[in-house]
Amino acid sequence: MNIPHIHILLNHVPTVGFSLGLALFVAALVTKSQDLKRASLAIVFFIAVLSTAVYVSGNAAADAICPVGQECLPGVAKTAISSHEDIALLAYALMQLTGAFAFIGLWRMRRTSHIGSGTTGAILVLSLLTFGMMARAATIGGEIRHPEIVEGPVEAAESAAGFQLAWFNPPAVKSFVLGSEWVWPASETLHFIGLCLLFSVVLMVDLRILGMAKGMPISAAHKILPWGLLGFGMNVITGMLFFIAAPEQYTGNVVFFWKVVLIVLAGINGLYFLVFDEAWTAGADGDAPLRSKVAALSAIVLWIGVLFCGHMLPFLGNAF
Amino acid sequence: MIKVPRILSAILVAALLLMIAHSALALPQEEPGPSPPSEEEGILKSIENTALAAWIRESPSVFAFAGILLLHTIGMGLVVGICAGLDLRILGVAREIPLAPMRRFFPVLWVGFFLNAATGLLLLYADLSTKLINPDFWAKIVFIALAVVTLLRLKKLVFNDPDIDHKPLPANAKLLAFISLILWIGAVTAGRLMAYIGPVSGLGF
Repeated sequence: MNIPHIHILLNHVPTVGFSLGLALFVAALVTKSQDLKRASLAIVFFIAVLSTAVYVSGNAAADAICPVGQECLPGVAKTAISSHEDIALLAYALMQLTGAFAFIGLWRMRRTSHIGSGTTGAILVLSLLTFGMMARAATIGGEIRHPEIVEGPVEAAESAAGFQLAWFNPPAVKSFVLGSEWVWPASETLHFIGLCLLFSVVLMVDLRILGMAKGMPISAAHKILPWGLLGFGMNVITGMLFFIAAPEQYTGNVVFFWKVVLIVLAGINGLYFLVFDEAWTAGADGDAPLRSKVAALSAIVLWIGVLFCGHMLPFLGNAF
Repeated sequence: MIKVPRILSAILVAALLLMIAHSALALPQEEPGPSPPSEEEGILKSIENTALAAWIRESPSVFAFAGILLLHTIGMGLVVGICAGLDLRILGVAREIPLAPMRRFFPVLWVGFFLNAATGLLLLYADLSTKLINPDFWAKIVFIALAVVTLLRLKKLVFNDPDIDHKPLPANAKLLAFISLILWIGAVTAGRLMAYIGPVSGLGF
């Protein structure tokens, strides 16, 4: 199995998984079922985390069938690849935003038992938009090597696929990042500040769950989770700026591969704390159950692992 | 509680002084350059050219530059992570978290701080002659010094008081927390930019 293969395997998950999450969310609104709502938001959040792996594996897939500076493999529609990339980026950005709102929704449900009409509305509108974009990206992605699903001549399909925002597509992002010598260092700095914010929340919450700083109610520590999301969001944005500006540094970089794997695992770990109550019930001097302690310890290990991989990108891999 | 960091720092400084003294006495491998360096430059260069400094700077091993810098980054996560949490709480985020128990996070912070003092000194040792003339390096040192002074004041003012949650916050606590946050952001920024301002070790360019 190689990275292009992973892209082929995973690329159906966002569309299929997201439609499931969206359908369950609507069903939860209709039936007013809290459990269903939790489940649907968890699915949306998980798909958003996983979509990072889908997006970044796409460049390797494109390289495999259309190497830079060489002829594409026979039967590959080259312009469909760039259209697919353009729409995939838009879909990815919308999906990250939807995932962030799903996180906020899950976080609020524990605090107030309802997620608020604003968040509900945002999740509904954003997931519809995301689903539309993701379906479009998936369709064009299919047309790259499946002329049998194109209606009419392939060239017509390629031009019809052209849907672009002039200021938000991979080439525009790339020229923004590489256009000034200060965008990269400034983004690196923000990436580190985001890291500190994320570590702030990971350390305080998880160390308390592990038993440090008794006197602080675990239920109160729950309040700071969105600050961790803010740090993570800063790092998704700045990290994707690096990736889109210089994908050749990352697609063949084994350390980057493991960084993405660890981020997905850390996302699943986060889901445990968002979905289940058991970690948060202890008061000021209470102990969290063993399962929560294991999850808290693995959160710290996973995030230090993500930091390790990020740090080693230039040393064990080929990034600068 | 404060004793542990004091002992640690004493050991650390002693070790570093020994190391530098040893390196200064060890054979300087400097090659004659086109123009003879000034006496001070000569000392810095000779320290930089000791086997340990050269190993940190030039070895392809991941335990050399890459590993030391990794520990420095993890230490940053511990120090700035914990400090940011303390500052944000004082500034009014998540008021339901009591302040007094947060002082138990200080040992984690000190572990990070001394990890970074040690790794920072090793990294400085490897690039003494270029780091000491890099204004960004001095900006970072000033930010960290001021941030530590601010942190110690906040600790005395807020976290050392077991009754802090039963009375209003001291008048300048919020100002100090805000300044602390800005200083740590400054330190992280200056630190990160050291990879772009001045020579960079460990990557072979």
